[in-house]
Amino acid sequence: MIWLNPVALVAFVAIAAPILIHILAQRRAERFVFPTLRFLRPTRLTSIRRHVLEDRLLLAVRSAIVAAAVAAVAGPVIVTPARRDAWNRRIVRAVVVDARVTASDASRASAAREPRAYRAADFHVTTLVDGLRRATDWLGQAPPARRELLIVAPLTIGSLSPSDLAAVPADVGIAFERPTSLPTLRTIRWGSVRSSGGTIDRQVRLDGVATSVIDLPTRDRTAHTAALPIEVVASERANALVDAALTAVLARRVWSPPPGRRAQFFVSDDDTASLARSIAVTAALTPWMAEAIARMIRDTDLQQAAARTLEVLGDDRLPKGPWRTVAMSAAGGPLVVAGASGDRLLVVSAASPSSAVMPILIRALANAMAETSDLTQAEVLGIPDEQLNAWSRPASAPAQPRLDALDIDDRRWLWVVVLALLGAEAWLRRSARGRSTVVDVGETVRVA
Amino acid sequence: MAIDAPCPPEVLASVGDLELVARIVVEGLVSGLHRSPFHGYSAEFSQYRRYRPGDDLKYVDWKLLARTDRVYTKQFRETTNMAASFVVDASTSMDFPPGSIAAMTKFRYGVIIAAALAHVVSGQGDAVGLVAGNVVLPARGGRQHLRRLLASLASIAPAGAWDGLDVVRGAADRLSRRGLLIVVSDFYDDEERMTTELRRAQRMGHEVVLFQVLTRDEIELPYSRDLEFADLESGARLAVNAASARRDYRDAVADFLERMRSRALAEGFHYTLVVTDTAPERALRSFLLSRQA
Repeated sequence: MIWLNPVALVAFVAIAAPILIHILAQRRAERFVFPTLRFLRPTRLTSIRRHVLEDRLLLAVRSAIVAAAVAAVAGPVIVTPARRDAWNRRIVRAVVVDARVTASDASRASAAREPRAYRAADFHVTTLVDGLRRATDWLGQAPPARRELLIVAPLTIGSLSPSDLAAVPADVGIAFERPTSLPTLRTIRWGSVRSSGGTIDRQVRLDGVATSVIDLPTRDRTAHTAALPIEVVASERANALVDAALTAVLARRVWSPPPGRRAQFFVSDDDTASLARSIAVTAALTPWMAEAIARMIRDTDLQQAAARTLEVLGDDRLPKGPWRTVAMSAAGGPLVVAGASGDRLLVVSAASPSSAVMPILIRALANAMAETSDLTQAEVLGIPDEQLNAWSRPASAPAQPRLDALDIDDRRWLWVVVLALLGAEAWLRRSARGRSTVVDVGETVRVA
Repeated sequence: MAIDAPCPPEVLASVGDLELVARIVVEGLVSGLHRSPFHGYSAEFSQYRRYRPGDDLKYVDWKLLARTDRVYTKQFRETTNMAASFVVDASTSMDFPPGSIAAMTKFRYGVIIAAALAHVVSGQGDAVGLVAGNVVLPARGGRQHLRRLLASLASIAPAGAWDGLDVVRGAADRLSRRGLLIVVSDFYDDEERMTTELRRAQRMGHEVVLFQVLTRDEIELPYSRDLEFADLESGARLAVNAASARRDYRDAVADFLERMRSRALAEGFHYTLVVTDTAPERALRSFLLSRQA
């Protein structure tokens, strides 16, 4: 038996209430004025006699009423074999549909699945990992039944991994449907890169297991030349070193930021300390700025280089406002911080212009501002059927159901019992009163 | 008011004017009674007066007319040859059930009985007196006296204990000649000594009439739970389980009532047990009919 509200079982102590009332209600003798006591003979009071309880049946019924009511409030669910069989027969299904699958293909794949679902829900997602998480959460709240996860997707390699599936509970069945066959060849635009010679369009050709990267001169007439949209603010001494670092970065090619994205790179040193402190920074709430800051923080080259430097943006150099620390120096203080300054991403660095951190930081900033395509969405190779078969598994019998997921309980039967007992209690009380009335009439006649 | 529809006790209890109550009871009482239940009515000659037109010819003294040739009528002075003294128990034991204005207490019931009988007796021209609580009215006739007696009865509130023996003795002694001693009480006194006093009054030539007023609850003890009974007069307390005590109680009350009845029969007292849930007219009517028989 399962209790939906086991805390309510504490109220079983309330069974003592009718017993105590039954005993204590007799203890108080009400004062009653009477013309004379000459005809009254002392008797033992009921409260004394009732050390041995009277009306035991009535008392038992009243206690049973309390017990049944408490049990009903506690929400019992009796798991009978028949009920468990019923749970085993039905299935709840979460269908994770990849965004590249058409709605008709998805519904066809879902409808063709046997047995028919007792309950089902579709989750249209761009990444299967996200879909697995949402579907697993939904299945966790489903009523008791066998649970199945159906993934309808092209199932390209890299879209799903064993670690992703390991997060799915063991009793949840997993099935895969690949509604359409994948193309054997696909060429997509990856993005554009900046180099010393100008802007270059970069394409990727996926041909079976072969991947080719193709660089072509850009056909975009509005594309900028080699200059990056990064405004550098530095002292006269540092300018030449920073320019050299920019040239080095462009020589190695960096991803080209889309039009409209601009940054201000502030190289802070003794000469520009007061200027750095005077900069008013605002929170980087624009999505591309927040994403760029996050990318720089994730840039391992930048973090490793920063950890090898000793420069720190001291309090006298830190700009005012809600800046974010991008990289910490070996001295334990911030080396690079970022924020927003108007429509520009603001980056302030204490790194020496002559150090190795400078070109790494510029490259990280330029790449962070860029926008590139997700190649996994264009993959032409599917996960082998053998692998999918290995990952597939049937839905197991439902485990102990979650209390908040149960769609039935047995409270109603207990409330019926309570009502029946209340009727019995009323009948018993009337019967007892009727017996006393009969005695009164008989004795009245005798006295008269 | 017809006999078949006596005024309910609770209605009589709610009427404040005792004279009105007495008249209501008596009007329902005397219909159907063809002669006076009390004997002793007479009229005593007083004087002669010249005849005036309109005088009843039956009072013309024809012999005097023959002797003197003058027309005189005889005038009579109403006299009584019987005095009735009402003794009403005004102890707190009569104030039961207590605390309710609408309820007919034993005392209120006894007062109504006494008032109605006083109305009847006085209406016959006999004298009526009263001994109740601190009120002592000697037996006299006339409506003015009756009204004074009723007003006195209405003003009495039951209080304290009742020394029935002294009260009965005093009332009997105050009756100067053969009279009627009507005692209204629950008779929760010393039975032997009360009988002795009543016997003494009877030997003095008085007719003794006893009205024992009780409530139905006193007779039947219809309670069923633990109760701490408190004596209305003494304040003594006794906690009993009423359901358990009921059988013995009823036996004791039945024995008490039987003793009262048999003693009254043996001594020649006129004894009537009245229960407050019966209409006063019914109780009085059965009493008066028994006296006529």
